[in-house]
Amino acid sequence: MLGTLVLLLLGLNAQSVATPPQATQAAAEPAAIPACGDCHEQAKTFAANPHGRGVWARPPSGATALPGAAAPTQIPNAACETCHGDGTAHIEAGGDKEKIFKPVGKDGADGCLACHELGSDRISRHAGVHANSATVNCLTCHSIHAFEPREPHLLAKSQLALCSSCHSTQVSSFRNKPFAHRVGRGGMNCSSCHEPHGRPARESLRSTSAGELTCLNCHTDKRGPFVFQHGAGAVGDCLTCHEAHGSSNPKRLKRANVWQLCSECHSPLSAETLGSQPPSFHNLSNPRYLECTKCHVAIHGSNRSPQLFK
Amino acid sequence: MRRLLLPLTLLIAAAAGAQTTIPIDVEIGYRWLDLKGNEGMYRSQINERQGLLLRALTVTAPDFRIDASDLGVGPAGTLRVETGKADLYRFRLGFRRADAFSNVPSFAQHTFDRKREMLDLDLEVFPGRKITPFVGYSINRYSGPGTTTYHVAQDEFLLLSSLKDRDRELRAGAAFNTGRVYGVVTQGWRHFSSDESLTLAPGAGAGNNVDPVLGRPITAAGITRDSHTDGDTPFTNLYVTGEVTPRIRLIGNYVRFSADSSGDEAETATGSFASFEIGRFFNGLTESVASEAKNKTTRGGARAEFALADSVDLFAGYQSEHRELSGTALINSLFLQSITFGGADPRDFAAVLSAASSLERDQDTVNAGLSVRALGPFSFRAELRTENVTADVRPDLAEIVVPGSQGGIFERRIDTVDLNASYTRNKLTLGAAWRHDDSDAPIFRTDFLARDRYRLRAQWKSPKDFIRAGVVAEQTDQSNDHQDSGFTARFRQYTGDVEVAPIEMLHLRASYSRYQTASDISFRRPQNFTIGDSLHQERGKSIEGGFAVFVKQTTLDASVIRFDNTGTLPFKIDRYRARATVDIKAHAGIAAEYSKDKYRETLFPVANFEASRYGLYLRWRP
Repeated sequence: MLGTLVLLLLGLNAQSVATPPQATQAAAEPAAIPACGDCHEQAKTFAANPHGRGVWARPPSGATALPGAAAPTQIPNAACETCHGDGTAHIEAGGDKEKIFKPVGKDGADGCLACHELGSDRISRHAGVHANSATVNCLTCHSIHAFEPREPHLLAKSQLALCSSCHSTQVSSFRNKPFAHRVGRGGMNCSSCHEPHGRPARESLRSTSAGELTCLNCHTDKRGPFVFQHGAGAVGDCLTCHEAHGSSNPKRLKRANVWQLCSECHSPLSAETLGSQPPSFHNLSNPRYLECTKCHVAIHGSNRSPQLFK
Repeated sequence: MRRLLLPLTLLIAAAAGAQTTIPIDVEIGYRWLDLKGNEGMYRSQINERQGLLLRALTVTAPDFRIDASDLGVGPAGTLRVETGKADLYRFRLGFRRADAFSNVPSFAQHTFDRKREMLDLDLEVFPGRKITPFVGYSINRYSGPGTTTYHVAQDEFLLLSSLKDRDRELRAGAAFNTGRVYGVVTQGWRHFSSDESLTLAPGAGAGNNVDPVLGRPITAAGITRDSHTDGDTPFTNLYVTGEVTPRIRLIGNYVRFSADSSGDEAETATGSFASFEIGRFFNGLTESVASEAKNKTTRGGARAEFALADSVDLFAGYQSEHRELSGTALINSLFLQSITFGGADPRDFAAVLSAASSLERDQDTVNAGLSVRALGPFSFRAELRTENVTADVRPDLAEIVVPGSQGGIFERRIDTVDLNASYTRNKLTLGAAWRHDDSDAPIFRTDFLARDRYRLRAQWKSPKDFIRAGVVAEQTDQSNDHQDSGFTARFRQYTGDVEVAPIEMLHLRASYSRYQTASDISFRRPQNFTIGDSLHQERGKSIEGGFAVFVKQTTLDASVIRFDNTGTLPFKIDRYRARATVDIKAHAGIAAEYSKDKYRETLFPVANFEASRYGLYLRWRP
């Protein structure tokens, strides 16, 4: 049924591609002005670009009907001028590069925000760590013309390569360490967990639709609620015990030995911290007590056992 | 997978046959695996198996786009479809599947070989410019076999597990945009159900402890446990962004969910067992559990962004969250043919336990800052933040074995200073960041009282970008000098990388990375209550080199990574990657891939493996 639905929706659209709109020829460019596509190859292929599609479907200001002729491969100059500004002087000067605006850096990205300004509770283009600045701006990661064809959202490179250019230590841990989320290897990307346009908050993490920690988007079995919660997760969060990126330790734990991970909290030398003391028969010189989760199997939470045995 | 491959194949065939302008790029083929050594460790780390693989697929057209990668033998793949018509609708489909495998030698004995499939469908309709209604549906399935342990007295018995989790979410709402006010309101309903069946593994009846308990051998003839859990979570999610004036923007958000779960569990066990809780030997157990748990969470907040000048913004916000967790369980246990440890009072022994627990957690965060996004080549960002956390944990008193630290009221305040600065000019970027956190009290022993995070970054590109070089250095120091902990930890990492493209057809790259982790905290040994140090250390370094050659219709990309880690768990990893593509015709070619991973542990060589994968794929771009 799902396949049929997808095919139906795509089929409807494919039909529209095969049957271009009737040529109205109205409001086309005056014949005396050369088209941008006469010199710029990019303009000829722009119809397939998401921004080109928008222009095709919604006539630019001043046009009264769908611009262009019979095929969606012709883009009116007005489409280019949306970002590059008035090109008349550039055309009259025979293509003088100094007489056309080239959107680069923060000033160029300010142009993007003319349409993409909307913020949300998770997105801030003004105050987040990736706010539109001299160092990081829209055009640092997105490229209108030279985007990576296999990436969505006009990304200039693969997401991992883009993030790596500033966050190479995190990317290095994905690539090198033995136990890591499969980021950039088919399953996930950095943006699976992080909102790259994030607001000022904890590492710009995404959340579930109900507002829970991003880990629970996939690991639904850990969400509970359980009758007996593990305090590490209920008061803290997943990162109390686990590494989010790559880890040298199995199950992406923060310690190589399970007994260390558990004992470091479950050793109350005073009663001021949360984490109970194991009974004395837990003899750590006996190997069977070094792997706590061998008995405390329901370590994320249990509906039956406060000691998380089952 | 078959359900998805069929529509994909039909679509590609239809699109190609229709002679439209739809560009298609597809890469499909077979991967072979040559594995030596520990298969469990290989699959826990890499898990790339032998079989058919849709390596990549991209279909782009003016009105729709399809992207897929690594669908087939996995271990993880995605499919994304986006289609729509301007001023009418937008439909998005996202599908991900991932194999979850864990079978690490001697690592707490849990194993699983499960599969997760996630499907998201979202439809937005555009009846006008002001209101955009939407509806979405998501399914998350997690299922497959595994193993776990059954704990009784001082014995553990291996159990086989069969798990089937299903999570479904329906959401609907609307986005509104009046020009100056934009927002989204979402109402959702989530239903989770889980079924797990556990049975004693064949040959596991002797348990792992061959010594008798108080003179009696502990054995199991049969163990079964079936559990079913249902959970319902309605949720409401709202945010509004309003432009009060061109310079002032207000953003408000509110989230509320109420999760209710109920569980039923039935267990039977036959054999020769002992229970220290009731002080008896017994020959069988039938147990039923009925449980209910709730999680009510409300979060809301607001922030303001005020543009002081062009590219200079002042921001401030407040966020509050309240979480209530509670649960009750009624446990009926019937110990069959029981006797006391002294051999007296033979009878079936019934025990009924009504357990309850609850927890409340509040978190309030206030922050304010200044963002200077372009002061010539400089940009700065400074933020102050205060976070207050209160946790009230009430355990079930009847269940406490060793009193202390199971519950109580815990309060913690964290004050944060977060500073960022960067300089960008002529393809040189320099960045520095420092964050200091100061806390008054820990909740867990490993919580810091002071933490400093430093980050330095430099990147340079030559004219025309034929050289790019970057270095990043990070250090995090945290400590808790509270008498209860004596905790110190340091994490350091340096990475340097360089890319050179001396000619258009050749790209060279190299990187070097070092990291160090060292933590030290006191702990109490349970067996004799003496105080010791828990030390964890990692010292790793990696070297990577690679090149890419582009010659007419042929590309070759190859790299080598060597990663060497010493410390608590020393190991070495060598990774080799190569990929060649040859375009035989204008629209068709082949891609060949080679990957090799060699993993060696110093202390536990039983974990070592060496895995080579060879892939051959057909590339087609009609």
